[in-house]
Amino acid sequence: MLFPTITSHLLPTFYFHTFMQFTKRTVLAALLTLAAPAAFAQTKTLDGIQNMHRSALSPIYDGNEVKGYVMFAKGDKADRKNDNYLLDLYDQDLAKVSTITIQKPSGRYTLLKNTFNGSAFAFYFYNGNDKTLEIETYDTSLKKLGSKLIGELSKGDLRVLAMQAQAVDPAAGGMMLGLNLFPVPGLGFVRNGYTGGMAKGYTLAIYDNKLGMHWRITSPEDAKQYESLSLTEAADKYLLGTMLRRDGLLSRKVTSYMIVLEAKTGKKLLDLPVETSATEQLSLSSFTFDADKREFVAVGEYYKLDDKPFVNKSQGFYVKRFDEAGKPVSTKNYGWQNEVAALMPAEAKASLEDNYVNYNHAIVKGANGRMYIVAEQFKIVGNALGIAAAALNSGGNSSVSKGKVGNMFVFELDPQAKLSSVKFYPKTVTNATLPPGTGFMGAGMLGQIMKYQGDFDYQFLQKNADNSQFNVVYVNFDKEKGESAKTYVGNIGFGDNGKYVVDKIEMPSGPTFSYLYPAKPGYVMIADYYRKKSQLGMKLVKLNI
Amino acid sequence: MLRLLCLLALGVLGSLRCFAQDKPYLPYYSRDTTQLYQLAVAQRNAVKAYFVVPKTGSGDYRDHYRRVVQEASDDVYNSIRYSALLDPVVEPFVQQVFARIVQANPQLPAGTRLVLTRNPEPNAHAVGNGTVMLNIGLLPRLENESQLAFILCHELAHVACRHMENGLQERLMALHSKELKREFRRIVNSEYNISSQVKALVLGFSLNNNYHRRQFEKQADSLGYVLLTHTRYEAPQAYRALQLLDTIDEPENPAAIPLNTYFSCTEFPKTFGAPAKPASIFTVKAAEQTVLETTDTLKSHPDCGKRMRFVQALAKGQVADGPQPASPPEYARIRDASRLEVIQGWFDYDCYDHALFDALQLLPQQPQNAYLRSVVQLSLYELRQHMQDHTYFEVVSNISTHNAPSFNALLTTLHALHLEDFKGLSTCFAQADAPAVPTNEYALAGHYAASALAAETTAPPVVALKTQYQQQYAGGRFEKLLFPVPKPAAKRR
Repeated sequence: MLFPTITSHLLPTFYFHTFMQFTKRTVLAALLTLAAPAAFAQTKTLDGIQNMHRSALSPIYDGNEVKGYVMFAKGDKADRKNDNYLLDLYDQDLAKVSTITIQKPSGRYTLLKNTFNGSAFAFYFYNGNDKTLEIETYDTSLKKLGSKLIGELSKGDLRVLAMQAQAVDPAAGGMMLGLNLFPVPGLGFVRNGYTGGMAKGYTLAIYDNKLGMHWRITSPEDAKQYESLSLTEAADKYLLGTMLRRDGLLSRKVTSYMIVLEAKTGKKLLDLPVETSATEQLSLSSFTFDADKREFVAVGEYYKLDDKPFVNKSQGFYVKRFDEAGKPVSTKNYGWQNEVAALMPAEAKASLEDNYVNYNHAIVKGANGRMYIVAEQFKIVGNALGIAAAALNSGGNSSVSKGKVGNMFVFELDPQAKLSSVKFYPKTVTNATLPPGTGFMGAGMLGQIMKYQGDFDYQFLQKNADNSQFNVVYVNFDKEKGESAKTYVGNIGFGDNGKYVVDKIEMPSGPTFSYLYPAKPGYVMIADYYRKKSQLGMKLVKLNI
Repeated sequence: MLRLLCLLALGVLGSLRCFAQDKPYLPYYSRDTTQLYQLAVAQRNAVKAYFVVPKTGSGDYRDHYRRVVQEASDDVYNSIRYSALLDPVVEPFVQQVFARIVQANPQLPAGTRLVLTRNPEPNAHAVGNGTVMLNIGLLPRLENESQLAFILCHELAHVACRHMENGLQERLMALHSKELKREFRRIVNSEYNISSQVKALVLGFSLNNNYHRRQFEKQADSLGYVLLTHTRYEAPQAYRALQLLDTIDEPENPAAIPLNTYFSCTEFPKTFGAPAKPASIFTVKAAEQTVLETTDTLKSHPDCGKRMRFVQALAKGQVADGPQPASPPEYARIRDASRLEVIQGWFDYDCYDHALFDALQLLPQQPQNAYLRSVVQLSLYELRQHMQDHTYFEVVSNISTHNAPSFNALLTTLHALHLEDFKGLSTCFAQADAPAVPTNEYALAGHYAASALAAETTAPPVVALKTQYQQQYAGGRFEKLLFPVPKPAAKRR
């Protein structure tokens, strides 16, 4: 042992870390030494962590499942111009795999995204000093495969990066897209970008595992509308995405399109508006491929004809199916006040009548053909103090509206896309402060702002490899009071077995911060940061679902 | 007539002895912890008194010395207070072996003492003040008293050679040396790559320490062997003891646990296979060992193979090699008792996975052992409680290459369980044998655990068992664990 002791053991001893809570098991570990490297609980304690932000740790996915974690940390200075940055890699059981040390320019060097495409890891960095992007790829033995510097960023890219840095919820979607690296199994990684100073158009480029570029597509230079493209799925031979088109950057009239590309060549196979008649006003939340039926499935919300998608309050949600040629096969609409309300449990109806509207967080399709839509209620109320202050200050900086976050719903649709059940999960209503001026916005836009600010309780949805089991993770705490008011982590489990199970985890009050991360199926990962001790405790908590 | 009466009396006494011997051993428990407390305090004071802070050296050095002694004395106190085993069977036996060694070696320092602990890990260690701590976990892994004697001789040799105090002084001197401080200052001032430079410095320091510790181990083996030769114990068993230590991380019985036999039945027709652990996406190979590492220089102890060769040379080839004949009856009795203490040790330290594993491993040899059956039910109960409270990660180990395959197979099953499965597991396990009439605290606690797994804790039969336990065994071993007093709701910040 490194430090002096006054004991001498018969066999080599091994002092190990385990979760910091004082349990009898840890007393055994501490007092009494082990003869072999122990593999105790599924925990990891890291000392000497000076600061910890949620984004420092991110899960590594292989398809649906979490297969590990990467922790990105700044180390010491490497030389006059460079710092040492550490990428600590852990497997799905929190066992340390390895550390990659990279020397990069000092200053603002951040990890935008880590991704795994089944055969290679890609780390996507942003150098805030030089305003450049960099991708590094590694094989599964963590041998470096390639490195790519992307030096010439458009003003649109920089604008989006600045917004991305401010987003609390990295999963915020809708019109607020970011720079991303999308894994394509068997082919490589697709990087998106924005063209023009106002992010008028898009670019997509695919790189193989060694970062050789294979194709690049971009919006037509003569395109009249603003276009932003977001990839949603790599399925079969396709790359699927949703495109939002609007007349100007600040235009409130947004039209959604379904995009299908040939993965190998980047050739655009479909570019169709989701609205198939002049009597529709639709937004598009999810666009997937049903390989069994060889059909594309679009899910989103519908609006009154004189309202604007994404901006105003939606009237319900729809499910549309298209064949591979893009021809509509079926359409089903479910109105919040009609079909959905009819299936709602009695206890849920009160909140519906209390002007709450739904924000759809996730749409997933099970292996049994059933579809599940996860929604959370929210509404905007006037803030009396804010209104008074606004009146005195002629509308100064005080917020005049407050967001309220309500209950959770899971809508289940059968394989014929018929709404078969509505599950209601009551939560304590929590508050959120909205930026000035938001009181005049429509409900759709406000929902997106709240998502962007991280005001919803919904955290993430986890799927197992074969899409037979899902669980929705949410945290119930008042955003105005901060995370110390956090009460519990809720989990709603559902899937092929037809059972809906709720499990609640009490959160400890000791840590300075507790962060939630996706984990292997049946678990969530909780990272507790203790500032005084400069210590980070990670634990895999098994869910009772 | 008198002769007949004498014969009758002898017969009665004999049968009583037989009865006493046949009565199954139960892990020792005493509500009265006064003796433990007194022993712990005495040892803490003895450590403090023994390690006198040197008057020489820098202030930092002396402060550090003081801190080490304080921490060590606290460790010794806690070890004894919470884990010393003062049972009437195993403890007197090991004390007797220790006393024989000390008696045969009058040159040993005065005041040596042995403390047996409930630590289930197979190990032993010496504390500088002459105290030898022996873990109960070591006893079932040895074959006879002579092997135990060698282990104790090895630890006494450390005491005789003053390895702990010399080691402490050497390491502290090195740590507070001008050279090390100068090197540390140079690294800090160098501005760049400080972390890797400090790591290299620490590694060098650690290697140097380990080198000295390895020298100590060699000396302890050597002197320990000599001490053993002075006793009536068989010196050739020293070699065999090291041979056993070489494979101590492997389970005694490598056979897989027949989970289907114990835990699958009509009510719960679950099939326990060994589903493959989800493969890691990483294919990172273990770092290639350097010459230094392959020659085990980085370890604090030399490999057992080297130690064995060294002892073989000392013994001029007169060594006991390979499995020894069946343990003598007295030692066999101690081994059997120790095995149960080890299981209870795992359980007491919340290592329910280990307690379950060891109990299930032992059951085929002792299928009627009510204690083992109780531990299985109690472990299942505690595992379910932890799963319910979302603290399962604290009590179920990771699957690891460091574990035996049979233990990993059990862990795979435990990780895949759901809350509702525990009822089925308990029901099937209870069916595998007629429920024992609870004749002791363990059996009653096990009975309660099985009932609480089968029904709500408010169900009348469960409540009746709880009442029975609390009446019969007030302040008993499992009272706080099974019937915790609810804590008042803590105020949130």
